[in-house]
Amino acid sequence: MEKEKLDYPPGDFGVWIIIYIELLTFGLFFIGFAISRKNQLEIFNTSQLLLDQRFGFINTVLLISSSYFVVKAIKIIKHSQTSESFTKASSYLLGTIGFGGVFLLIKIFELASKYSDEINLSTNSFFMFYFILSIFHFMHVILGMIILYNLYINTKAGVYTKDEHSGLESGASYWHMVDLLWIVLFPLLYIIR
Amino acid sequence: MERITKIWIALLLFSLFAFILGRFEIVSRFFIFVLLFSTFLKGYFVIEHFMGLSEVTLRYRLIPTVWLSVVIISVAITYY
Repeated sequence: MEKEKLDYPPGDFGVWIIIYIELLTFGLFFIGFAISRKNQLEIFNTSQLLLDQRFGFINTVLLISSSYFVVKAIKIIKHSQTSESFTKASSYLLGTIGFGGVFLLIKIFELASKYSDEINLSTNSFFMFYFILSIFHFMHVILGMIILYNLYINTKAGVYTKDEHSGLESGASYWHMVDLLWIVLFPLLYIIR
Repeated sequence: MERITKIWIALLLFSLFAFILGRFEIVSRFFIFVLLFSTFLKGYFVIEHFMGLSEVTLRYRLIPTVWLSVVIISVAITYY
């Protein structure tokens, strides 16, 4: 028999409002990018060649793995209440923060190398989208890491229980959104030509 | 192996596939549509299994899934 569906998404409802608004905002940027690309195909294709796909790929691996770690942390909290499980779950969250940190470092290096090549927002339409989307997403990663750090502290302190862990789920949902946005950004900026 | 671990591995493999297409400039129309479909699957896996929306009623799952579909279809249309 099929498991009965819950009538409420994981975490607080407020965070889902934020997630839906963020998705809508980024979605408009993605569609704007695709339309601009169609109108300026040559500029977009030649500009894209100046990006290093390895950075995009490594960052994708980092964000996907960090999301996976968050899922593992929640699973532990949902199923066990020992001090060992709190330590294990907080270790997964620390790993997530670490991956997020490496993501930011790679992104800083990538953006800085473009600036040093005298490529910036006003170079052309492709790089305008590239910088806006990258920096906008970058800011979301920073906010996500701040949230994750709080979750890490709370998890380590044993604040979340088997029955009450909506704070953890809210933060996790936000981080998964950051991952979801990057999953679309990666092929859009680096691969599709 | 846990289902969530299998999904994580699938997400990594889809990402590797995208990287290989880009790296070796395999950019035919067919492969771009395969890439877009694999991007949709990746997003869908994150929505359903990482965000945990597979366990909730349709109305909450529908919003991000429709969002993802609209974005991917728009990109596909403008590519075509």
